[in-house]
Amino acid sequence: MSAHGSSDSINLTLHVWRQSGPEDKGGFEVRRLNGVSTHMSFLEMLDVMNEQLVAEGREPVAFDHDCREGICGMCSLVINGQVHGPIPEITTCQLHMRHFKDGDSIYIEPFRAGAFPVLRDLVVDRSAFDRIIAAGGYVSVATGNPQDANALPIPKRNADLAMDAAACIGCGGCVAACPNAAAMLFTSAKVSQMALLPQGQPERDRRVLAMVQQMDAEGFGNCTNEFECMAACPKGIDVSNIARMNREYLRASMCSAEGA
Amino acid sequence: MLSWLSRTASSSIGKKVLMALTGLCLIGFLVVHLLGNLSFYADADGAAFDHYAETLDSNPLLPIAEIGLLVLFVAHIALALRVTAQNRDARKKGYAVRTDHGARTPGSATMMLTGLVILVFLVVHLAHFRLQKAEGVSMAGLVRHELGKPLGAGVYVVGMIALAMHVSHAFQSALQTLGINHPKYTPLARKFSLVLGVVLGLGFATFPLYVFFLGGNA
Repeated sequence: MSAHGSSDSINLTLHVWRQSGPEDKGGFEVRRLNGVSTHMSFLEMLDVMNEQLVAEGREPVAFDHDCREGICGMCSLVINGQVHGPIPEITTCQLHMRHFKDGDSIYIEPFRAGAFPVLRDLVVDRSAFDRIIAAGGYVSVATGNPQDANALPIPKRNADLAMDAAACIGCGGCVAACPNAAAMLFTSAKVSQMALLPQGQPERDRRVLAMVQQMDAEGFGNCTNEFECMAACPKGIDVSNIARMNREYLRASMCSAEGA
Repeated sequence: MLSWLSRTASSSIGKKVLMALTGLCLIGFLVVHLLGNLSFYADADGAAFDHYAETLDSNPLLPIAEIGLLVLFVAHIALALRVTAQNRDARKKGYAVRTDHGARTPGSATMMLTGLVILVFLVVHLAHFRLQKAEGVSMAGLVRHELGKPLGAGVYVVGMIALAMHVSHAFQSALQTLGINHPKYTPLARKFSLVLGVVLGLGFATFPLYVFFLGGNA
């Protein structure tokens, strides 16, 4: 390799969380990984490590991934204590090894929350989010022919806010980053995207009550407004959504006939 | 019949709303308390402060106000303990490496700790000025006596540092919890929260510092 080329590869010490199943205690496995190309993504680096493990006849490290282009919300990981790694507003699959230095030690842990039990190694069960959505995160309308585009006037600002909230990919990074393992940012984004639009109005009160009730039943923590969720969110979901959900919840609880 | 109310109050958002409301009421109490205490500086012999204390004391509504305050404190603290216990339960297994993402503040990260320090301070404070209070005893003299001691002054200064940190996060956090969020006012409210914490903490801390270093009004 040329002198220039040598800076394109780094040697790392990985501390990877291994856990054989939900009941296993688990622990860190330390592994040297040499000659890692800085052009690789973080997940590609893990692929290389896994190829070596397989070649050694050992179990590869289980980790979640799917689209690898930052839009599906499947990848996770807490890298050196930071959700989705050290770079703001990207998912782990979009993190590249050029952000690490030769000789670095990297701690790789699963998302930690009681409501997200570890299934194996770095894979956690995030189906609690699916159950929150199933509780009310939808609009029940009979689908038919699309109506005229401007039949329902929507203020530009509300359309933008709803779109920003809908950017949530449901990765669960907010829960992982929250000091209290709360799911307020996720749930509030899903409540907001529909509370802001006319299509969401008929089920507005029932939706927020049911989703918050499910969120609590899943065992997520309570929000203490530290906003670590927003700082860690790969999609930059704003905490004003949490304020909106609080407002929606109080309105539905105190002022609507829902739940009487 | 009122199951919806208990359901609301015991939800995650409901508990935080009650904490926010009780907290805002307590902040209101602190503002009035500080304004009243400033009469300590009104004259050299403490007559104005004594008069203020006696006026408060002779008000027949004082016991009702005190019970109200007690309810606020007990509710706020009980909710804090409950919420904190639930938050601990929500992540029994923590991270080996924990790096903040940059949004936490010294105030926000230490709410439980500063709250407990304020609670200890409150017990000492009540022992000093509520339980020792007696007919014909000069309140200004009592303040000079207790805050003139190194331990007394120290407890008050530490308590007020904790109060400043607590309120610096608390005010804007309470507004967020109540859903009061607006692109025009929220940035101001966040700054005001910090200012309010510093003004309250510093304002109350002037009393022990003044008495201890300058000997009070003597």
